[in-house]
Amino acid sequence: MGGGGEGSGDDQALVVQTLAGDRAAFGILVERHAGQARRVARAVLGDPDDADDAAQDGFLSALVKLGQYDPRRPFGPWLMLIVANASTDRRRRRNVRRVEPLDTALVGGGPRPDAAALRSELNQRLRAALAELPERRRKAVVLFDVEGYSHAEIAGILGIPEGTVRSEVFHARRRLRTLLADWKEPMR
Amino acid sequence: MTESPSFDHRPDPELGAALRAALEPGGADDQSVFLARVMAQYDHALGRSSVAMFDVLASWFRPGMVAATAALVLGILFGRTILDRTSPESIDAALAPAEGPGLAALVTAEDPPDPSVVFASLVEP
Repeated sequence: MGGGGEGSGDDQALVVQTLAGDRAAFGILVERHAGQARRVARAVLGDPDDADDAAQDGFLSALVKLGQYDPRRPFGPWLMLIVANASTDRRRRRNVRRVEPLDTALVGGGPRPDAAALRSELNQRLRAALAELPERRRKAVVLFDVEGYSHAEIAGILGIPEGTVRSEVFHARRRLRTLLADWKEPMR
Repeated sequence: MTESPSFDHRPDPELGAALRAALEPGGADDQSVFLARVMAQYDHALGRSSVAMFDVLASWFRPGMVAATAALVLGILFGRTILDRTSPESIDAALAPAEGPGLAALVTAEDPPDPSVVFASLVEP
């Protein structure tokens, strides 16, 4: 299994405890999945504050719907489905699409003083490149390459055929590489 | 960025790490702040869901009552219509002609009936 890998072994037990009213158990679930939920939301929304709002909406929505969760299935994809939908809803409510603007000095190939600045530049480029992608493609590539979900799991999260997921990941990768073609620095 | 096979069924660790870094919300402090803000809404979310359930039930109450009343009234009217229909008291009464012995009397008679009477009883409405 993929992205549920952040300690998914006893997610089901935590769900049962949460359903029994154990607030701390829900806190552990949030802590365990907050990273990927916020990344996925940010991939959809771009703006980090909006993303955190959407991730929070997702967690609270999951809390309310926890009784509908099938414990025979991994928790991560179920949660990501809710977070991705919450992000999409928030994005629809947001009238003006706000894409984090690129620093024109950095884009223009200005001076690159140190590694931190280089890293910052790459991050900005990647976020801008992601923002160029259609939303579904963005979700697919982040869930696959960043969060490690399988094509089948992503198909379940996005509600599309597995073959379409493969295609979306392929096109997203190709587009990202095109947009970042001039990036010559190592990423790590 | 280095090239790697795009249509690969495995995750691309290089691209994944780069995207992860770009999407990473913040440090450990940031994560705990996020956890705190979610947990601050815990009770509110659960309370809101139960309130929402009662809201749904309340919103269905009035149309439900109207529908039930309409069904009751229709049922009463239909029942009264059925009961008001005059039904014959017996099969003999139903078969009895306006005049003459009637079909039942002809069938149970010891003597064979006059054919003209039998045909006349069948022809009668």
